[in-house]
Amino acid sequence: MDTIKNELQMNSFDRVLDKLCLTPIGLAGLILLLILPFIPPFNQEYMLRWLIYCGFIAAMSVGFDFTAGFINIVNFGYMAVAGTGGYTSALLVINAGLSPWIAMVAGGVSSAILGLIIGMISLRLRGIFAACLSWFFGLAVMGLATKMVWLTRGPLGLRVPRLFETESNFPFYFLIIILVYLTYLVCKWVVRSKMGLAFQAIGQNMDAARTSGVDPVFYRVFNFTMSCAIAGVLGGFYAHFYGILTPDMMHTSKTVEVLAVAYIGGRGSLWGGAVIAFPFIFLMEIVRSTLSNLPGLNLVIYALVLILVMIYYPGGFSYFYDTHIRHPKNRVLRYLLNGRDA
Amino acid sequence: MSKNYTSYILPWVKTAPGMSIVISIVVTVAATIDAGPYLLVNMVVTGGMLALVATGLTLMLGVLNIPMFAHGEYFMIGSLIAYYIFTPISEFIFEHPESWLVTFGPFIAIIGALAGGAIAGAISEKLVFGPLRRRSTDNWVMNSFLLTVGLSVLLINLHQLIFGADFKGIVGYWQGMPISIADVYVSKDRVMAFIISAVIVALFYLFMTYTRTGMAIRAVSQDIIGAEIVGIDIEKIVLLTISLACALAGVAGGSLLFMYPSYPTVGLEPLYMAWFVVILSGLGNILGAVAGAFMVALLKVITMEYVGAGWDFVVPSALIMFILIFKPSGIFGSDVRGVLDK
Amino acid sequence: MLLEVKNLNAGYGYLQILRDVSLHIDKGEYVGIVGPNGAGKSTTMKTIAGLISPMSGTVIFNGEDITGLSASAVAKKGISFVSEEMNLFVNMTVQENLYMGAYTIKEKHLQKERLEFVFELFPRLAERRKQLAGTMSGGERKMLAIGRGMMSNPSLMLVDEPSFGLAPQLTTSVFASLEVLIKNGVTILLVEQNVTKTLAVTSRGYVLENGKIGLEGKSADLAEDSYVKKVFLGV
Repeated sequence: MDTIKNELQMNSFDRVLDKLCLTPIGLAGLILLLILPFIPPFNQEYMLRWLIYCGFIAAMSVGFDFTAGFINIVNFGYMAVAGTGGYTSALLVINAGLSPWIAMVAGGVSSAILGLIIGMISLRLRGIFAACLSWFFGLAVMGLATKMVWLTRGPLGLRVPRLFETESNFPFYFLIIILVYLTYLVCKWVVRSKMGLAFQAIGQNMDAARTSGVDPVFYRVFNFTMSCAIAGVLGGFYAHFYGILTPDMMHTSKTVEVLAVAYIGGRGSLWGGAVIAFPFIFLMEIVRSTLSNLPGLNLVIYALVLILVMIYYPGGFSYFYDTHIRHPKNRVLRYLLNGRDA
Repeated sequence: MSKNYTSYILPWVKTAPGMSIVISIVVTVAATIDAGPYLLVNMVVTGGMLALVATGLTLMLGVLNIPMFAHGEYFMIGSLIAYYIFTPISEFIFEHPESWLVTFGPFIAIIGALAGGAIAGAISEKLVFGPLRRRSTDNWVMNSFLLTVGLSVLLINLHQLIFGADFKGIVGYWQGMPISIADVYVSKDRVMAFIISAVIVALFYLFMTYTRTGMAIRAVSQDIIGAEIVGIDIEKIVLLTISLACALAGVAGGSLLFMYPSYPTVGLEPLYMAWFVVILSGLGNILGAVAGAFMVALLKVITMEYVGAGWDFVVPSALIMFILIFKPSGIFGSDVRGVLDK
Repeated sequence: MLLEVKNLNAGYGYLQILRDVSLHIDKGEYVGIVGPNGAGKSTTMKTIAGLISPMSGTVIFNGEDITGLSASAVAKKGISFVSEEMNLFVNMTVQENLYMGAYTIKEKHLQKERLEFVFELFPRLAERRKQLAGTMSGGERKMLAIGRGMMSNPSLMLVDEPSFGLAPQLTTSVFASLEVLIKNGVTILLVEQNVTKTLAVTSRGYVLENGKIGLEGKSADLAEDSYVKKVFLGV
């Protein structure tokens, strides 16, 4: 009797987990992230700042992977899109006196519009050409942010009010963790629906997708718009967290950072980038701050990891996880790693 | 006779290449009359440099299917080598003003840059591209693109780590009075930079068109299996192609050291511009890339003159995106779907 | 023996297609391999040409073991492969394509000689020497592919499906050109779906079925064989 009851309870728990797109180990990871700032070495403010940056990159990489991993187009101006959201949000707060929370959403809308435009223009282009187009778009937007000094103060940077009026980083940390999870959840929901299949069909072979009745126009533009909207909201967070916004944020090298994390994490998995971002970016920050007499060393390591992963393990961490870790013999372990129905 | 001539010219002018070339020439002439001949000189020098970098990029794309993001770094390597070769030479010249090195010293530096680019390219093939080619199963274009992104970050930061981030530049290669061409004084360095790039591009074109090895490179780009079955050693051709492409970038960096001092990210601007050229002119041929190089140079120079410095990414990229909407395969690109459409 | 293939096993990845294929060709012979679609005819050719590396077995050419050599190394040994897809260099002229066929020959005057020879064989190619290969008709391309294969002065030519995608009339002329090559002392291994035609022109034949050699013998005998008649000729 008891066992049946147990199973019934487990089932409802599993159903909730499934709706939340989490495996038991994923839930554990999320909880760990939430209690992390109370564990001694991480409760210092500067470590928390790093962790917030990790979270930002993690969320960005999920949004990036939504385009790169599914419709197979690298949005090489992704940070510029995020920057657009950040600037919109910041300017609305400064000039129109909006609340930062509403402004962040407005930033997302502005980025979504930008994404819509890029998606429309790049429709006829494929693969690397579409990547180049979004890159040029990013360069143009960054150039605009640099040169429209009357609005953005150019390279001097814009002073932006912070989201929470406190010196502490704690609330920002919890917010970014929530944002990481929400980004993942929304993307995962879309990908799980019928749309995900259409995305994959388009990503693998656009002509074949078209002939089998998938309309690439709608799905590509939708995908671009959605991932750009995510970038816009996150850009707003970035602006209202650091309190200063310069066009440097839109630089291609920043996009490279997101891209590297997304691909090392594993393309097409959504969670891979988010998982890998925390240890990886955190370690890089440690290298950067402890070996500050060797500037650029962290980026050298960064680049080496990306190169090695691309050559020897192009599937990234998620592929490694799926092939080697995911299916252990032990039933309990398997449940932890996969949830009930997998 | 003359009627024949016009009947040949007119249809050509109506095609996309013809129209864009005619418009470019008209704009050049008008701007030169309006702003002064220095504009023409700037355009020609920049165009020559771009032609070198862009032909290398076209080669990488056309023959090896590598969308090279690290090409600017070979420009940087070239300028770095030229700097370290020319600095002792210029000290020697300062003490011995009558030496033959006054005339030929710069050539040593520039040839050193050429060789350095070639060697760096060969090393990257051996260490990076070769392993990827042997292991890659699918998605080659995207994987190699990400690989070059990593390579770019790596080389930039290695430069910073080893040589520091300061500007390593020279006052000029050739001393003496500027040369007067039709009442315009142009420094010897600029004249020589243009002559060098013109000679190298011409030699390169002849090499690709008429020599056995050049033809083999083209053969590999058109049908790799066909090339293999006629007995072309693919590995050798690939190594040669990468070295050639990188040597072209290296020599551009070396001969322009007086304009672009060597520092870690010096390669980014030529890289952006060269990508503009490649996307604008399409993956047609070398001549298309050369024509495209001068068009992009014209765009840049005109923007600097009439809109202002700093806008030179915004206006050209906006215009190129505009052109891409109407001609997705580029101005000189053939309608044949390229290998990059994957 | 010019070419000897012993117990060849080959395929794509984990998919094995050829099982213990053995065949041999003497100098000056005209040998055909016939068989239904998917029997492994093209795979046999590609494996001999070095485009697929075999799982096991040996390929001996001119007394030399060439198993597992790369395609370009095989070409240098004197085997030229005319593939089904032709693999022409579409953005090069006819003449450039032919010169690329002579890539293994270093001497300029020998290249010229070969070019003259091919132009004599195929006067049509001489007329179109400045035309881009990609703009030619199917039959002309086939001719160009065979001509390119001839350029390296090979001791053995592997010709894969020369009639594929051609109108019957053009097929006849392609076969006629192969006939001319044989008269010039070239050894040819021909793979064809057109069983009647192949067995009519070749001197010896192999029947390949499900990746195995089913029958072998004089072409004339094979054409009379009751099994071949029943399965391939529908008599």
